[in-house]
Amino acid sequence: MMLCASAGAWVRCGLALAALCIATPVALAAGVPAGTQIENTATVSYELSGSTVSIDTNTATLTVAERIDVVVTRQSPQVLVQPGESNRAILFRVTNNGNGAESFSLTINSNLAGNDFNPVPAAAAIVFDTDGSGDLNTGDVPYQPGVNDPVLAADASVDVFLVNDIPTGPVNGDIGRTELTATSLTGSGAPGTNLPGQGDGGSDAVIGTSGGTAAENGEYVVADVQISIVKAQQVADQFGGTEPVPGAIVTYTVTIEVTSAGIASNAFIRDPVPVYTSYNAESILLNGNPLSDAADGDDGELDTSGTTPTIVVRLGDLEIGDGPQVVEFQVTIN
Amino acid sequence: MSETGNMMKASLLVSLLLLVASAAAQEANYLDVKTTVQKEELVTTDSGERQTRLVAADTVLPGDTVVYTITFTNVGGEAADDVVVTNPIDASLTYVDGSVFGAGMRIEFSADNGQTFAARDALTVVDNGAERTAAAADYTHIRWTMEGTLDVGSTGVARFSATVD
Repeated sequence: MMLCASAGAWVRCGLALAALCIATPVALAAGVPAGTQIENTATVSYELSGSTVSIDTNTATLTVAERIDVVVTRQSPQVLVQPGESNRAILFRVTNNGNGAESFSLTINSNLAGNDFNPVPAAAAIVFDTDGSGDLNTGDVPYQPGVNDPVLAADASVDVFLVNDIPTGPVNGDIGRTELTATSLTGSGAPGTNLPGQGDGGSDAVIGTSGGTAAENGEYVVADVQISIVKAQQVADQFGGTEPVPGAIVTYTVTIEVTSAGIASNAFIRDPVPVYTSYNAESILLNGNPLSDAADGDDGELDTSGTTPTIVVRLGDLEIGDGPQVVEFQVTIN
Repeated sequence: MSETGNMMKASLLVSLLLLVASAAAQEANYLDVKTTVQKEELVTTDSGERQTRLVAADTVLPGDTVVYTITFTNVGGEAADDVVVTNPIDASLTYVDGSVFGAGMRIEFSADNGQTFAARDALTVVDNGAERTAAAADYTHIRWTMEGTLDVGSTGVARFSATVD
């Protein structure tokens, strides 16, 4: 039997949120690309001695300047951690909201005011989500200032992890924050500042409303969740007794309970049918309510995809107030 | 005899050529036309009022409003009739509704790349199979048609604003 209730579940949840964010169009479209030349020529025609004459005016040309704007958004919800854990990642997205290609420097700050505790930046504290998985993996490339500063086209974005270690001091419910700052390497400062000739295609660059820099912070929440799991069995033989003989029915009862503060998110049970027994069809109960064997809309099923049939019951997010969750199922001894 | 005749023919030809050239030069310069572009800038006056003014369009960003002014002056020897100014709106610009100006001129718009023109409220486009009144964003061209003649020495002005997409 396995109970899964880890912070990893929160990360998956975060990815679902991220997908929603992507589907929503960015409110601040970058606009006409920097360096674009907008030409205007009017034509004037008139009548002269019965014949029409048509002439073009001069061409008035505008070169669209580059607006430097950046936004940082957090892609992970609160990340649940335990004291003393290392390399806990929070995912951010850096988006170039300007209308030209820009390079950005990235910095981490884990000493923020108003914290219960300060996370400690890991050796590789800023890491690109190179494989796009949303999870920190060995192939993800650490950021090195001046070496691999991200270069983003207009409206393009890059996903970046901040990676921190959690000190041993904090207790359940304590919050520690870490902040990612992205700053344009062309320039930052007061909005409206003109940087002549520094935009794409030799256009001027103008600092946008973001000031050319943006920051966002993410939260670690200590959730040292304690879970109690008890499995019991009751045998009923076909002769009215309780002997585990062939043909006897065994009812298993698994009781799960969160016994501390914190949330066991997306908790589920996977319990393989014991050897020398056969699962009794449609016998799964969750808190007394039947769950069908089929993988359908309800919270449980008999998973027959592996070599051993396995009972699966999803319990959702559990906390102490939810009380004990009781899963039952029956097998027959072969 | 034949030599003189040839000379006469040559001289006539030169005169004709000169005539044609001067007529062409006169036509080309009959109207002096010019386009300028400026940028609208929002400023706060000393008394705290916010007002727009026109400045040189040196640095233009997406979202900025630019103003095009077309002037045409009759520098020829006689009045010009049927003066028509046609201005395409660049694909990177969106016309600002209500911004067009042209004293004594009939103003029309096109939403089909200059094929047909109609007044603001009469211009329609077909959108998903349904006909509707064209919006400012649909306009591809603006056309000004002078109601009267442009007298010798007179100047006309056509103007419109657009935002950079």
